[in-house]
Formats: sequence, structure tokens, C-alpha cells
Amino acid sequence: MATRERRPGSRRFSPAAAGADLLLVLWFAFSLFPILWMILLSLKTQAEQTSTYFRFTPTLENYTTVLSAEGERITSVDFTGALFTSLVTSLGAVALSLVIGVPAAYAAGRWAYRGSGDVMFTILSFRFAPELMVIVPLFIIYNQLGLFDTAFGTIWVLQLVTLPLIVWILRSYFQDLPEELEQAALLDGYTRTRAFLTVALPLVRPGIAASALLAFIFAWNNYVFPLILTGSENPTVTVAVTRFLGGGGQAYYNLTAAAALLAALPPLLVALSIQRYLVRGLSFGAVKS
Amino acid sequence: MTRTDTPHRPPAGEGSVRRIPARRRAFRPYLLSIPAVLLIAGILYPFGLGVYYTFLNYSAMVPEPVLVGLANYAVVLSDPVFWESVRVTLAYAVTTTVVETVLGVGIALLLFRASLVGRMLERLLILPLMIAPVIAGVIWGLMYNPQFGVLNHMFGLGSTFDWLSEDRALWSVVLVDVWIFTPFVAVLVLAGIRSLPREPFEASAVDGAGALYMFRRLMLPMMWPYILVAVIFRFMDSLKIFDHVYVLTAGGPGGATRTLQIGAYQNSMTNLNFSLGSTYMFLLWIIVFITARYLVGVLGKAQRRAAGTED
Amino acid sequence: MSTLELRGLGARYGKKPVLHGLDVSVGDGEFFVLLGPSGAGKTTTLKCVAGLVDRADGSVVIGGRDMTGVEPYERNVAMAFESYALYPQKTVADNLASPLRSGRLGTWTEAERAARIEAVTTTLGIDHLRERLPKELSNGQRQRTALGRVLVRPADVYLLDEPLSHLDAKLRATMRAELRRLGEFSRTTTVYVTHDYQEALALGDRIGVLRDGRLVQVGTPAELWDAPHDTFVARSLGQPEMNLLPARADGGVATTAGGLAVGVDTNVSGPVELGVRPRDLTVTAGEARPEGFRVRGRVELAERLGRSVELSVRTEASGGGPGDTLIAVTDDPDVRERTAVTLSTEHSRVHVFAGSDPGAYAHRVGSARPRTDTEGEQR
Repeated sequence: MATRERRPGSRRFSPAAAGADLLLVLWFAFSLFPILWMILLSLKTQAEQTSTYFRFTPTLENYTTVLSAEGERITSVDFTGALFTSLVTSLGAVALSLVIGVPAAYAAGRWAYRGSGDVMFTILSFRFAPELMVIVPLFIIYNQLGLFDTAFGTIWVLQLVTLPLIVWILRSYFQDLPEELEQAALLDGYTRTRAFLTVALPLVRPGIAASALLAFIFAWNNYVFPLILTGSENPTVTVAVTRFLGGGGQAYYNLTAAAALLAALPPLLVALSIQRYLVRGLSFGAVKS
Repeated sequence: MTRTDTPHRPPAGEGSVRRIPARRRAFRPYLLSIPAVLLIAGILYPFGLGVYYTFLNYSAMVPEPVLVGLANYAVVLSDPVFWESVRVTLAYAVTTTVVETVLGVGIALLLFRASLVGRMLERLLILPLMIAPVIAGVIWGLMYNPQFGVLNHMFGLGSTFDWLSEDRALWSVVLVDVWIFTPFVAVLVLAGIRSLPREPFEASAVDGAGALYMFRRLMLPMMWPYILVAVIFRFMDSLKIFDHVYVLTAGGPGGATRTLQIGAYQNSMTNLNFSLGSTYMFLLWIIVFITARYLVGVLGKAQRRAAGTED
Repeated sequence: MSTLELRGLGARYGKKPVLHGLDVSVGDGEFFVLLGPSGAGKTTTLKCVAGLVDRADGSVVIGGRDMTGVEPYERNVAMAFESYALYPQKTVADNLASPLRSGRLGTWTEAERAARIEAVTTTLGIDHLRERLPKELSNGQRQRTALGRVLVRPADVYLLDEPLSHLDAKLRATMRAELRRLGEFSRTTTVYVTHDYQEALALGDRIGVLRDGRLVQVGTPAELWDAPHDTFVARSLGQPEMNLLPARADGGVATTAGGLAVGVDTNVSGPVELGVRPRDLTVTAGEARPEGFRVRGRVELAERLGRSVELSVRTEASGGGPGDTLIAVTDDPDVRERTAVTLSTEHSRVHVFAGSDPGAYAHRVGSARPRTDTEGEQR
């Protein structure tokens, strides 16, 4: 692949290269337009939201409205509360998954113990199993236990999203870590716990950070769990954004756009910060880059 | 070299040595896995309960359900609405997977050329993927709107063209899926291409091989495992698609976009017939399970072949 | 300061056994070398002593205490890994400080630690690298750091896994010489693993030769050199390897296929192998001293290896056979191809191995002796 060697400065113009760049630009136009359009829509006033496309007087009013008590009165959606709930449940789900998942990933990455394959496969199957198979019974259980529409209930069920991710990614990191490092620490006089904490854990810190942040994104973006297992008290942002559409009669497209962007912003910022580790995470450790 | 002497100090704790029997050592990994296993049990319990529901007549009308054997399966399997859902789900999954794979591999190859334009745009590739699918659904819902949606305006379709009409809705939600998930295939395949060894390409360039030959005979076989990983993730996720489809069409119009998981949602949560909904889900689960088994087998074979350990 | 005893030490990798019951006793302060090819189980033996192998049979006894079930951090042994196993996030100095900071090896003040680390790094010639990270070191420097992490601390037993293998040839020779002189090793029982016979001969108080998870022979370097237990041990030591000529013994004479005949013990009969080290053979042009083993031949190949010349000599058999090929080494630069030479050595330098089963290594049964029959060896 000779093209691999080329640097932009040394490249001469060729029709094929220009055509390739044109195709890329076309894809990105398609890919980025909806986001740009949402930004435009979110900057329009109520009066302009349906009457104009690209020419209007921009205002940030929609954002302040969405986040204020006045917005809640108009749309009957407590968006600030939903943002807070999403933050609490996503962080909580990631924290719980780390506490449970790090030891399990370590065990699976270090020892080929009997049954480790079964445990790992079962955890992975959570990722691919249709969610409703579990949610419908959980809906009934939660109603009996009083967990319906609570942050803890959401954190518990989000383990289906965060645990497989964290366990599988971290296992691949632990597998990459030479066992002899920890053995050296044992011979230096450290107990197994201290060897793990002072040698293994610091070395997989990038993996922990990347998997935790990716898990945070997917927990934040989840919709079907809070849709069924939360009500009016503790909906997450994904549920709250859809409620803007259902508002009685009056349409608040500009507010919806502002809310959608606000809800999309945290995962986008997190994603851009861990882009280097993203592929390994998205493929559950199958593709290392 | 200077002579050095170790200061001699007695090791701490001499005399009292703890012994750990081999059996307890072997138990260590299990100990570490206990929390995870407990959590798995906490998830498998409702799953098992869900399977149990499929043998009951459990609904909001029947709060004291009784066993009805395979009656739910008989009802569901003889219901044309269910088979329509199966058809919609498979059509959706196959179309999105094929389109996203072709586009994703193409984008990855274009980005691999590392032109200035490509490198500037690459960072933005994953943006749609990181937006919640349901929010993507909301965004596209606003764009699809016939009255004020920007698409009808830009393409001059007037206000009567309905993107979500009965015969177009499926393709419109497929388009949103393509928008969200093509970057997933692209980043995976791109990482795969970048990790390929260079020597085979250099060797065959020396041998005078053409670009097309190198792509088909060298690059594609080596990329295949990465493409397969992407295909598996996409196909399995598409089988249980819910979020953006539900917010765009709620399964309608009619049953045009009523995928299996939406069908299960309607049965369970709208009609509150838990047994019927669970039966839908369990049948979907079986499809997913069989597909997963098959695809993982294919992947393992491809990985061994790419690694050169099997022909 | 402790003795080390292995009693019936066994280990398996999965279902495949890699150690078959090793029994050996290493004295207090002894420098014991384990020599063997890769895959013989050398590293596994060290890890068993360290307690890093969970499923080991038999027992390891250190200082008279059975260590079965004792955790590695309570065994007071230090190990240099062949992979170095340096903590990648820590500098050289911090890597060396690690055992001193664990609190299990005595209490050290900051100043004592620094002084100790400085002394050891100076000894090993890595004092200028103390603030470097392992990734900023060459393999040889990493290896010395790994060695330093052992030497820096007190221990009952030092376990060294190929600690010189990644040094360049010159440094390896220097380090080999210096290692012996280090006070640490004269006081601390050491097990040293290598596949390099020169290291083994130079360093070991005793050497244990390991093959396929079994100890073939344990002895001092001189014992192993002079009386190798079998052809495996014989060929493990020395370069070029020992000449081995298949022969048949009958009535106190062993005759090779090429026609070479030497006297052997009369109770040796059947297939044997005759072994003689190339460097034990004296090469002379023309006739040699009359006593001892001698054989005439013609140089077929002369390969100059630095100061010495390695010869491939085709012997002239007295019985008119086709002759055998013997490798010999000479310092005489005038020996050229196709010249006639005489190879000679003492009878005690010609080893006789009795072949048991085909494919197995033949055991040494003694050395050659003057022929008692009338013919004489060769005129």
C-alpha cells in the first residue's frame, strides 16, 4: 500500500484522490447535517420554529427555558431533574459495575479456572439479549419491591449495559499484563492484595478509565430500561426528551431540539476524550488499536 | 566494581508461617467472581421468570395466572401479526447490516488513505454513534416532519410527502439506523486495517501485483475478522432494535415497523398481557441465541484463517 | 542463609507433566546451577521454589522448613525473571526500592534504602540509570536492573533465571567473572538457571543437568566434565561438542564402523559409543608419543575460528575400514586441509558409553584402557 507512506505535503493532485475526498465529504455532510440542523432549530424562537429554515434571529432562550422551572411549567417535563437522575444513575451503574467487574475481570484474565468461560459468556449474553425478556418480569418485581421509578432500580438494571462492557474490556487488559509482574511483587514481600493494588491496577488504569467512561456513555444513552422502569419521579434524560414531543397539543420543536442537544452533549464530550481507546471498548476488547 | 554487602536483618514474622492448602488457592478466582455471579443470578432470575410467564396466562386482567402449557406459543405462532413482525425484524436487520457494512468498509478504506480532508473529518466520525439512539430518533423525527421538516423543504417534496407512511416507514427508520451505526463499522474496520502487517503488501508490490489484486487477495482476507466482528455486533443489535424506531413510529403505521421487540412492548406494556409479550421475547431470544452461536463460530474460523493456523 | 532441599518436586502444565519428582539438596551459601535446554523445566523449578506454582507435588524445604502451602511473600526468596518483570511505571531506583519498602524484609530508613540502592546499582554499572524508566533501557540494562532488585535485599535463597542471557558477549564475560566475586552470592544460597555450559562451569559450585523435567546428573563442574553420566550430559558441555562414535565391544576391544579399535573393560560388550572431546585431542604432524590413545588421519576440513582451528579429520583404520570422522581443535595455524596428522590423548579422556535402547542416551561405563590383546592399537 504505497499510499500509506504519503504525507499530505508531498501528495500531488490526482483525480482519484480528489474523488475519494469528495466521497468522504459527502458522507460527512450526511452525517453531520442532522446535528447542525438541531443546533439551528434549538436557536429559533417559538414563532420561527416552523416558519423558517435557515434564516432567523438566533437566541439561547430555549436552553434557559428547558433548564428552568418555567420550562417545566410549559412542557410539564422536569428536564433539570432528569439530567440529575441520568448523572446519578449512570455514575452509580458504572461504580457498581467497577466494584463487581474488576475482580471478576481479573479472575478471568489471570486464571483459566473451571467455569470462567461460562461466567464470561453469560455476562456477554446480557449485551446481546433482547432487553424486554428481562424488563417485563423486572417491571412486576420492581412494583412489588417498591423499586419502580427509583434511581437504585435503574442502577441495578443498567448493570445489563455496563457490566458486560467493563468485564470484557478489562479482561482483555488484564490478559495483556504479564503475570510475572505480580509474581515479582509477591517475592518483593507484598501480599496478593497489595500486589494487585500496587502493580496490576495502576497498569490497567487506562483500561479502567476507558471502559468506565464508555460504560457511562451507554448507561446515559439507554432508553428502554428507564422507559419501562421509571415513571414521573425519576425519568432519565432520554425519556425526558421524548416527553417534549408528547406535550398536550402545543408543539415545542425548538425546546425539543435544545433538550436533545443538552442530553447528547455529555456522552459526546466523554467520547471525544477517550477516542483512542474507543475501538477496543466498542468491540468488547476484540479489536485492539 | 565495588564490593557491596547486604545488611542482614531477620525477615519479619519468622517462625509463624501461614499455610494455605492448595484447595483454597484454587478457590481464589471463584472468590473474586462471587459478586459478579451474584449479580448474574440477580439478572437470570427475572429472565427465568420471563420464561415461566410464557407458560402462564398472565396479564393485568388475570392477576392470578395459571399454567396453560404451550397455549401462548400456539397463539403467537399462528398469529399472522407475529410473522409480520418476524418479517419486519429480519428485513430491518439484514438491510441495516448489509448497508452499514458496505458503507462502513468503504469509509474506512477512504479514511485509511489519510488525506488532509480525511484526517480532519475522522475525529467527527463517531458523533452520531455517541448520541443516544432515541435522541437520534427525535432529531430525525423533526427532520422527517412533512409540514416543517427540513428534508421536504430541501428536496422540494412539498408538505404531503410523508417519510413515515406505511410503505416508506421501514426504509426511513433503516436510514436512521444507517446514520447512527455506520460509524461503528467504520471505526472498527479502520482500526483493523491500521493493525495489518505491512510486509505482505510490500512483498506483493515488489512482485508487481495490481491494486485490485492486492485488495482482494491480501487485504480483504486479513480484514475479514474485523469486518465479521462489526457484522456480528450490528446484526445482533438490529434483531432487538427498539429505541429510535419506537420514538419515530411506535411500530406503525399499521405494523410496518413493528419489530419483535416493539411487538413485545405493545403486548406487555400497552396491552399489559405479560405472558404474550414474554412469548414474543423468548422466541426472539431463541433467534438471537442461535444466530450468536452460528456467527461466533464463523468468527472463530475466520480469525484462525487470518492468523494462518488453518486453511 | 539457608539450605534448600527439593523432595520429589513435581509440576504439570495443564495435564502435561513438566517436572518428574526432582530430588536435590543445595547447601547453605552454595551456588547451584541448573543447566539444560529450553523446555527442560528450569524456570518451572525456580517458580516452584518461589511458591509461584499453585499445583506442585512434593515439597520445597528452605532452611529446614517445609514450604508447602506457604505464600511466596513469606518464603524470603528473591528471583530475577528472564522476562525481567520490571515494574514499567517505576524508575530503576524505585524498582530496586520495591522489596525494601514492602516492610517484610526489615525496616529501612529512607537514607539506608538510598545507600543500599546506590551500592548495588554501582556494582552492576547502572548507577547512572537510576532515574530511568524500564522502557528507556536496553535489554542488557533491564537485565542488570532485575538482578539488582534481587541483590539489593536480604534473602534465604536467590533464584536467577538466565540473568546474563541478554547481555552482549563481552559484557556477559565480564559480568560472569564479577558475579562470583559478589559478597551476596558467597553468603546466600543461589539457584542459577542457564542453558550456557560456560556459565555453568564458571559459576557453579555444583551443576544439575536437567532434561525433560528430570535431573540427569548433579555434581561439581569437574565431575560433570570428567565423568558425564551419559551422552546427553557429555554433549551439553563443551564446544565443539564431544565426538561420539558408535562402536561394538567384544572381548575387551571396541571397534567402530570405520575400523577404529580401542581397548575397553572386558565385561563391556555389545553396542557402545566412544566419546572424546575435540579439545582433549592433541594434534601433531607425523608420529605422536607412543603411550595412550592415538589415531592417524587426514584433515578433510580446517575451519579457522579466531585463534584456534577446528579440524575435521578422517581416520585411517588399521583394519582397513572406511575410517571415522573426528573433530579436533588445534592452535597450530600450519595445519591445512589434506595434511596427515596424528590425534592423541590419554586413555582416561576417551569415554565409553554403553548403549541401552536405541534412541535413548547411552550411560557412561568408564574410559578406554590400553589394549590387552596382541595387536596393539595402531602402529
